[in-house]
Amino acid sequence: MTKLLQWLFGVSLVVAGWALVSFDLLDLKLPQPYREVAWPMPLYLLVSFGCYSLATVGYRVATFNDCEEAAKELQEQIKEAKEDLRKKGLKM
Amino acid sequence: MCATGVDQAVGMSLVVFSLLLFTYYSVWVIVLPFVENDHVLHKYFLPREYSVILPGIAAVILLLCIGAFTAVIMWKNRKPKKVD
Repeated sequence: MTKLLQWLFGVSLVVAGWALVSFDLLDLKLPQPYREVAWPMPLYLLVSFGCYSLATVGYRVATFNDCEEAAKELQEQIKEAKEDLRKKGLKM
Repeated sequence: MCATGVDQAVGMSLVVFSLLLFTYYSVWVIVLPFVENDHVLHKYFLPREYSVILPGIAAVILLLCIGAFTAVIMWKNRKPKKVD
């Protein structure tokens, strides 16, 4: 069985379970609070995934390893290289 | 060698904002149905229908922003066709 088929199978199981609980397809007569929690589950998972992505992006922006001295040094070296090449006749 | 001040502030505020959003939405969707209707906690949350409508509206706005951004970039990059 290919990975795609495995994933589709898993996803359809989850969707079937959710539909069973939300819409009471088997007439199980679950208590009302549980049905009220289960019904927005797909949207809730989407929102929490969005929050997780936002938090990861924010955290990595805050802890990004800027190397300011290395950046300056690199700019200096680029300038030197340009001068050097210009002297040797390469047109910039 | 840390990220610069503004970067840190922006990053941390994103983290805090997403944590707040996640907590509020979790309580709204998962905790509130188990709390009796006359508990004072219900005062701080909108009616439950909004917990579905508001993310829908946010998704539409996000798509509109992405579309507008793409349109602006493509507009700026259009090159006039060469005339022979």
